[in-house]
Amino acid sequence: MATPMRFTEAMEGSWHPIGPGPAPGDGVPGGPLGFEVAVELPEPVRPLGTVHGTLVGTVHARGLAVRAPATGTIEISPLEHRRVRYVLDFVGDDGTPFRFDGWKSIRWRRVASTWTTLPGTITVAGGAAAGTAIGTATVWFAWRDAPSLVASVRLGPPRRQPGPAALAARRWDGRPGRLEVWYDTFTDPATGAGFWLHHEVVAPDDPGQPVQAHGWAAAFPPDGPPVWERFGPGAPGEGPGFEAGGVVSGETARTGEAGEITWDLEVAGGGPPLWTFPAATWRREVLPGAQIVPRPAARYRGTVTVGDHPYRLDGVPGATARIYGHGNAERWGWLHADLGDGDVLEIVAATPRRPGLDRLPPLPMVRLRLGGRDWPSSPWSALAFHARLGLPTWTVSGRWGRRRLQVTVTQPADRCVRVGYRDPDGATATCTNTERARARVLVERRTPTAWAVEGEWDLDGTAHAEIGSRP
Amino acid sequence: MTAAAVRGAPSSALAGLCAALLDLPDDEAAAVASGVEALAGRLPVAARLALRAGVGAAGVAAVSLTGRRLAGLDPDRRARLVAVLGSHPRTADLVDLVKVPVLLAHGARAAAPELAARLTVPPVRPDGDLDVTPSPWWPSRSVADVVVVGSGAGGAVVARALARAGASVVVVEEGRRFGVEEFRTRGTLERFGDLYRDGGATVALGRPPVILPVGRGVGGTTLVNSGTCYRTPPGVLVRWRDEHGVDLADPARFGPVLDEIEAMLAVAPVPDAVMGGNGRTALRGAAALGWSAHPLVRNAPGCAGMCQCAVGCPTNAKFGVHLNALPDACRAGARIVSEARVEAVMHGGGRATGVRLRRPDGSVAEILAASVVVAAGATETPPLLRRSGLGRHPSLGRHLAVHPAVSTAGWFEDPVDATRGVLQSVGVDELHRSAGILIEATATPPGMGSMVLPGAGRALADQLDRSDHLATLGAMIADAPAGRVVGSRHAVLRYDLTPRDGQRLVAAIGAMGRVLLAAGATAVVTGIRGHETVADEGALEEALAHADPARLHVAAFHPTGTAAMGGDPDRHPVDEAGRLRGVVGVWVADASVLPTCPEVNPQMTIMALAASIATGVGDGGPAR
Ligand SMILES: Cc1cc2nc3c(=O)[nH]c(=O)nc-3n(C[C@H](O)[C@H](O)[C@H](O)COP(=O)(O)OP(=O)(O)OC[C@H]3O[C@@H](n4cnc5c(N)ncnc54)[C@H](O)[C@@H]3O)c2cc1C
Repeated sequence: MATPMRFTEAMEGSWHPIGPGPAPGDGVPGGPLGFEVAVELPEPVRPLGTVHGTLVGTVHARGLAVRAPATGTIEISPLEHRRVRYVLDFVGDDGTPFRFDGWKSIRWRRVASTWTTLPGTITVAGGAAAGTAIGTATVWFAWRDAPSLVASVRLGPPRRQPGPAALAARRWDGRPGRLEVWYDTFTDPATGAGFWLHHEVVAPDDPGQPVQAHGWAAAFPPDGPPVWERFGPGAPGEGPGFEAGGVVSGETARTGEAGEITWDLEVAGGGPPLWTFPAATWRREVLPGAQIVPRPAARYRGTVTVGDHPYRLDGVPGATARIYGHGNAERWGWLHADLGDGDVLEIVAATPRRPGLDRLPPLPMVRLRLGGRDWPSSPWSALAFHARLGLPTWTVSGRWGRRRLQVTVTQPADRCVRVGYRDPDGATATCTNTERARARVLVERRTPTAWAVEGEWDLDGTAHAEIGSRP
Repeated sequence: MTAAAVRGAPSSALAGLCAALLDLPDDEAAAVASGVEALAGRLPVAARLALRAGVGAAGVAAVSLTGRRLAGLDPDRRARLVAVLGSHPRTADLVDLVKVPVLLAHGARAAAPELAARLTVPPVRPDGDLDVTPSPWWPSRSVADVVVVGSGAGGAVVARALARAGASVVVVEEGRRFGVEEFRTRGTLERFGDLYRDGGATVALGRPPVILPVGRGVGGTTLVNSGTCYRTPPGVLVRWRDEHGVDLADPARFGPVLDEIEAMLAVAPVPDAVMGGNGRTALRGAAALGWSAHPLVRNAPGCAGMCQCAVGCPTNAKFGVHLNALPDACRAGARIVSEARVEAVMHGGGRATGVRLRRPDGSVAEILAASVVVAAGATETPPLLRRSGLGRHPSLGRHLAVHPAVSTAGWFEDPVDATRGVLQSVGVDELHRSAGILIEATATPPGMGSMVLPGAGRALADQLDRSDHLATLGAMIADAPAGRVVGSRHAVLRYDLTPRDGQRLVAAIGAMGRVLLAAGATAVVTGIRGHETVADEGALEEALAHADPARLHVAAFHPTGTAAMGGDPDRHPVDEAGRLRGVVGVWVADASVLPTCPEVNPQMTIMALAASIATGVGDGGPAR
């Protein structure tokens, strides 16, 4: 059996409309065009043969589509046909289906240029005008993107993504010195209120100490100070998720009571899990701790009552996240930003609590989901990002492949709660959290000539963030 | 004289030579010289060099024989010098070499006022409704079900059949599109230079060299052919079926296909009204001899007898494929890319994948298609296949038959007005069956084809002044496949006339001479060296007896057979269904696939074979 192969590739260039007028290339006004695709091949590229695979990603073409999801096929035939062909179907902003069909023609005498130049034609792919060529395009692969392409290469069958049920299930197997967390953050757009449900099981390093299941709930109303209430501790229940003293976090159920806050919610949807830490680090305990987001763009439905104020939530946006490991980090910053339409940005920038490592600057794990594609393509990208943690404002920036990202998070003191954390070894940390943070996010894409804004967001009061520190 | 001089400003040596050859005053000679130079600019390098050598040699001769340069000689001495050069066998060839373009340029100039005056009839039909995109506007990447290389007789018919069958078809044509407007307004010499590959100076090397013009444009050689339509002789078809295993040539199968082509071309015999003096002379001579002759059947409905077939019909009467098959194809969705030279048929894993073409600016475009039909003509198809890496078959490019032609003219007391009427009007087929000689009354414009008037200076000028008293016949002989096309980047043609065919050409001159004398010619221009003009049957016989075939003026218009189809994998590069052997998905459907010389003007045969081949295109199996 052949080994499947996957990688991601980005190419940028421009397109020119076809029509009467001067010949293409004579300076006809065109526009930038580019795409970023995940390539999936049933077998690794064969130098002597031809391999057909699939493409999933996004296309942007000025005047046609700002950023459209795209699917298609790829044919890689370096010697047999000396051709690498990309066929990508996407729907333009006006609803017109388009097809980009192009191929690199490999000339081994000019391999560097022919391997990176992809001319193609854009045709209308459906409707009355189906088959009409409307434009020509040439996009290029930049050699400086080669590292990110290479880093994205994966061999072997894609792991079956575990579903929300599996990711909601308890990881802890009774070993001492473990911390497991289930948490939800969501925002009620109707009122502007933010919410935080935090459930954790702490198995102390000392096996003589009792295992504790506890947690808290917090509400962040727009017109008053946040309310924060603890529940527990108690003994962890036997169920598959979190359960302790009437508080439940199951596959979809979130119910419980903590002080003057009660909640009874169902969570649904969310899209594929976002692996803030690589899936392998979640499955196997290779790092001191790992955070993942099983439901990055979920919907919460039900009621949260704070004192005598009920919030009726009708499918409000939020996310379910999980943490498992030996304890909290030395220092950390966390951001969840729902950018809308299933697009999300998740950042965990942390310095591990290990002697020696605890002097390092925080390492930002960044996941940006745009149009169903997750970026960066490799966890090594963490090395390419830079975080400057602080309060009330902290930043993360960096660039990977053809994109660069700049994030500024502001956590005004009056919107924050301060929570003391206790690690399995007994150490404590302080976390400053708000579900009404402001996040400004700038995503830019490199075109052959300049950086072009791909997306810009200012989430004022709907971002979820925290900063953790030790005294 | 420099190359730049041949292409650019008239050189004084060339002008001097023109003046001497045609006994022209200096200003007219300069005008003719600049026409020659414009034409020379389109010639392939070899022809340009030969022309330069010819002019140069004349200049050297002038200096060595008279001590002065050609341009500096007075008209008398210039005339005497040219007469001397023309009388020596070695230098006579050189003089002829230069004479051909000079006659062409002069003829075009001299005839222009009359042609313009006669062009009173409007076009009988508009230009074809074609979907043509010049290659600069064609995207660098495109896809089709079928790519057809070449838009001539074969390619157009294949495109029509396949588009009608529902395939997406792109026809790629190296030449550009021509329209009737420019055939009405531009001079014949300029048109000649544009419409033909190599400016019309394609030559098959050999003894004698054979001038072999081929058309280049949307419509291929049918843009410039004479419109003569012969059905393939049954004897030829039976031979192709029985000796070459070409089942589709079975007369019972092929007949209906020819019928369909005849219908598409709207063929009909030349009507009396436009027959013209040249054709009537031929009919008269044949009748006097009791020989079989008849007005030719042509695809030229509404022909007004402008006699400009060879440079693009100014009334759109000549019904080339640009006016029928290609518009039909486009109506069915086919698209044409013009000014696009196919560099290679792309293939991989033993299958065709499309074509790579080059635009005039040197940039490259590719069209992907699982089926490629090569119809670049018998001279261009073999090099194309070779440079595509598909030229391994040992017979590819070989077995070139050209249907060689010689011309013979007759002087008549009364004006013949050969060019007032159909260019190719009457066929005399008395000797066709028995000797493979087919005579056709063909009023070739001066300098075109194989007709070269003898002499130089005053003598030549006198003849030109009286050329309305000249009737011209051409004869083609069914030849052995004695030529080949070598080269891959460019076609290089070689043709070694066999002794038997040489004798046939001489016999053909004799037959034409007899027809002309029987029609009342006072003298016959034979084209035989040393016996250029004969006045009676006895002198004609004498001339024939002394004829050296290697020194005849031979032209050919019907190259065929360079990718012969047939059932024998060792002998035929193309199988009996038109598939190129050695690869899947490549068909050949032009004059190249004819297994032998068709013995008649070939366009209908090519079209009918192409239509037959088209029915199998797209069937993905390998060649048999
Ligand atoms: C002056 C003259 C008069 C003639 N008169 C008659 C006549 O009266 N009756 C008759 O039956 N026949 C006549 N013929 C012959 C007849 O026209 C040809 O035999 C016939 O057109 C050949 O058809 P074809 O498809 O093989 O090639 P063509 O018609 O020559 O078409 C080939 C086309 O392919 C194109 N091409 C070549 N290479 C490439 C490339 N690499 N890429 C893209 N395009 C390419 C060429 O430009 C050309 O347009 C005459 C020929 C000539 C020259």
